[in-house]
Amino acid sequence: MTRVRWPIAAAGVAVALVLGACDAGGGSGAACDGEVDAEALTMFAHEGSEADAYRDAISGFNETRGAELGFEVELTMIPEGQYTDQVNAAAAAGDLPDVIDFDGPNMANLAWGGHLVSIESCISDELRGDVLPSLIEQGTYAGTLYSVGSFDSGLGLWAWRSALEEVDARIPAGPDDAWTAEELGQILRDLQGAGYEHPLDTKFWYGSQGEWFSYAFTPVLWSAGAGLIDRDDYQSADGALNSAEAVGSLTTFQSWVEDGLIDKDAADDSNFIEKRSPISWVGHWMYQPYLEAAGDDLVLLPLPDFGSGSKTGMGSWAWGITSATADADAAWAVIEYLMSDEVILAITEVNGAIPGTASAIGQSTNYAEGGDLELFVTQLEGAPDLAVPRPVTPAYPNMTQVFRSVIDDIVNGADVQATLDEAVEAIDADIESNEGYPAPEE
Amino acid sequence: MSQRTEVSGQAETLTTIRTWRSAEARTAWLLSTPALIGLTAFIVVPFLLALVLSFTNQRLISPLPTRGIGLENYLSTLADGGFWQGLINNVWFVAIVVPLQTALALFLAVLVNSRIRGRVAFRTVYFVPVVTVMAAAAVTWTLLLNPNGLVNAFFGVITFGTFTPDWLGSTTWALPAVMAVSIWQGTGFQMIILLAALQDVPEELYEAAELDGAGSWKKFLNVTLPGIRNGLIFVVTVTTILAFRLFDQVWIMPQVPGGPLDATRTMMLHLVETGFGAQAIGRASAVAVIFFVLVLVLTLIQRRFIREEGGAA
Repeated sequence: MTRVRWPIAAAGVAVALVLGACDAGGGSGAACDGEVDAEALTMFAHEGSEADAYRDAISGFNETRGAELGFEVELTMIPEGQYTDQVNAAAAAGDLPDVIDFDGPNMANLAWGGHLVSIESCISDELRGDVLPSLIEQGTYAGTLYSVGSFDSGLGLWAWRSALEEVDARIPAGPDDAWTAEELGQILRDLQGAGYEHPLDTKFWYGSQGEWFSYAFTPVLWSAGAGLIDRDDYQSADGALNSAEAVGSLTTFQSWVEDGLIDKDAADDSNFIEKRSPISWVGHWMYQPYLEAAGDDLVLLPLPDFGSGSKTGMGSWAWGITSATADADAAWAVIEYLMSDEVILAITEVNGAIPGTASAIGQSTNYAEGGDLELFVTQLEGAPDLAVPRPVTPAYPNMTQVFRSVIDDIVNGADVQATLDEAVEAIDADIESNEGYPAPEE
Repeated sequence: MSQRTEVSGQAETLTTIRTWRSAEARTAWLLSTPALIGLTAFIVVPFLLALVLSFTNQRLISPLPTRGIGLENYLSTLADGGFWQGLINNVWFVAIVVPLQTALALFLAVLVNSRIRGRVAFRTVYFVPVVTVMAAAAVTWTLLLNPNGLVNAFFGVITFGTFTPDWLGSTTWALPAVMAVSIWQGTGFQMIILLAALQDVPEELYEAAELDGAGSWKKFLNVTLPGIRNGLIFVVTVTTILAFRLFDQVWIMPQVPGGPLDATRTMMLHLVETGFGAQAIGRASAVAVIFFVLVLVLTLIQRRFIREEGGAA
């Protein structure tokens, strides 16, 4: 008897504990009151390419601003691959630190769960005006600002100018006169005719790392006038993800794969670098390697227009204050320091991303007016009409997973309409089972 | 009088046995405590939690109160094409990998058990994949299986270019590719267990069989196989359970986990994607419970089948 009884009792306790912890998720939501009284702060950040810059920034903070205010920050770096799961698990267990960073589209999920504090009462009007509009879009959920980031990302088409000239392709000057999808299709066919077997590189091999498919290919939907969800109320994907526009644009995309225009089997960057695929659909992070390969021949172009104008992806890692903090002012002091031009430039120097404030952009060689990468800044300044944030809703984690398989299925020849109808069902079922993700009451 | 002495003597013996037994029991409990604590904390409690959560709307992160929703998670799981695709792939995987891997392991074990030169080197070589981390092996194999990779270079030569599939990008060949990598990785471990079993078969039995005029095939059938029966049972049971838990390979190797077109989706992958990706802990718990029951039933059937054979022997 005893043998049976005690594990069950232990389990019972554990059940109660876990359920209790889950229920205790809703935070106090302490806002900034202008007074710093913390003595120590904890922080999680993802360990990506900019990890050393983060470490330097935090020790810089501890030595200067932190010393002035009388507290220190203890930074824990977590490998990028597991970061989001770790933060979600810490949130579920009530173990979050004071300050965290998160990939932009995950913000709404954390905020909805009551794990983030609004930074409306913390941010100065000056900083708010300086931050890229795209980052404000990405950081605003249910009408409230929850996060700002030190940098943002850019997505476009990189090309070998000489290859385009070979087939007499028009070279667009900016997002306003981007190639139409039809035009790009024709250019790709011409390039194929000129001996480039698979002229377009789309980095499908990034796929299993998570956000790439959603980040890179939702602009196809937006540019056609479709989307992942009806953004009026974020309650249903019906009529957005399975609309005629969505089916049309993704069918075009599928035909590029089927006709071999896209280098579907590439496993590394060599296809563009060795000019086998002279056009590459990828983000700002490939600038350095591509510049080394192509030199003056490298040209950056906007994504094609599928009918409603060229749209592009945006969003990146951003800072937020968790509801576990006892002192939002201290936490904000850290974020404010991370948003200073000096720190932003140090971080973006390493990861090559677009600086998160206009003032930092002005001091950057590549992104300032006339720089090689000015297009990315133009796109982000045009948010949310040019650069479009991924839907800011707690349903996003499920949505991105669904869309990831949509792209995989379509690339592998599945029927587009049927695939999208199924995806709509999966997205709607999740929203329904979470009671429509009711927005938090402020 | 003598009777009475006898009785009291018996009573004494009983008491001794009882004390001895309880002392033994205490030692047994003491020795098994660490394992029991581990099992309770990491198997029993989480499973009971999963059982409870599978009847609720629990999400990983949610401000909504947790409430019971009856069988809804089970119903939506059973109505989910992804789950069934995972189950079908799992069954295929088990049906092909378990016999193949066991046979290959047995073959290798017999091979490295024979008195050939450098058998230690062979044993080491066959065992190396087991020590390799599955994730690292999967990444390496992904590169080897690239349409322009080494595997196709090999097949291209031996089939004169007629057979060079896009392994992981093809709905037909992705699962077989995953199976091949799994067999490659798992066989060495099974081989070692069977090797130990082989070395337990008494040499005299072989000598006796030889005297009876048995050839090497007959010796294998009538001496080796019955001699390593327990080892084989263990290997088949464990391989079945491990095969059902297939996850690392299908997470890492295809372009999208479980792809292309769900060709390599497994129940484990479905569970992780539901619980962590979509954050639907309640539904993922239902998947876990269904998975557990399925594997349990299969293991029980296997055991029953094998035990009856043991009784007959």
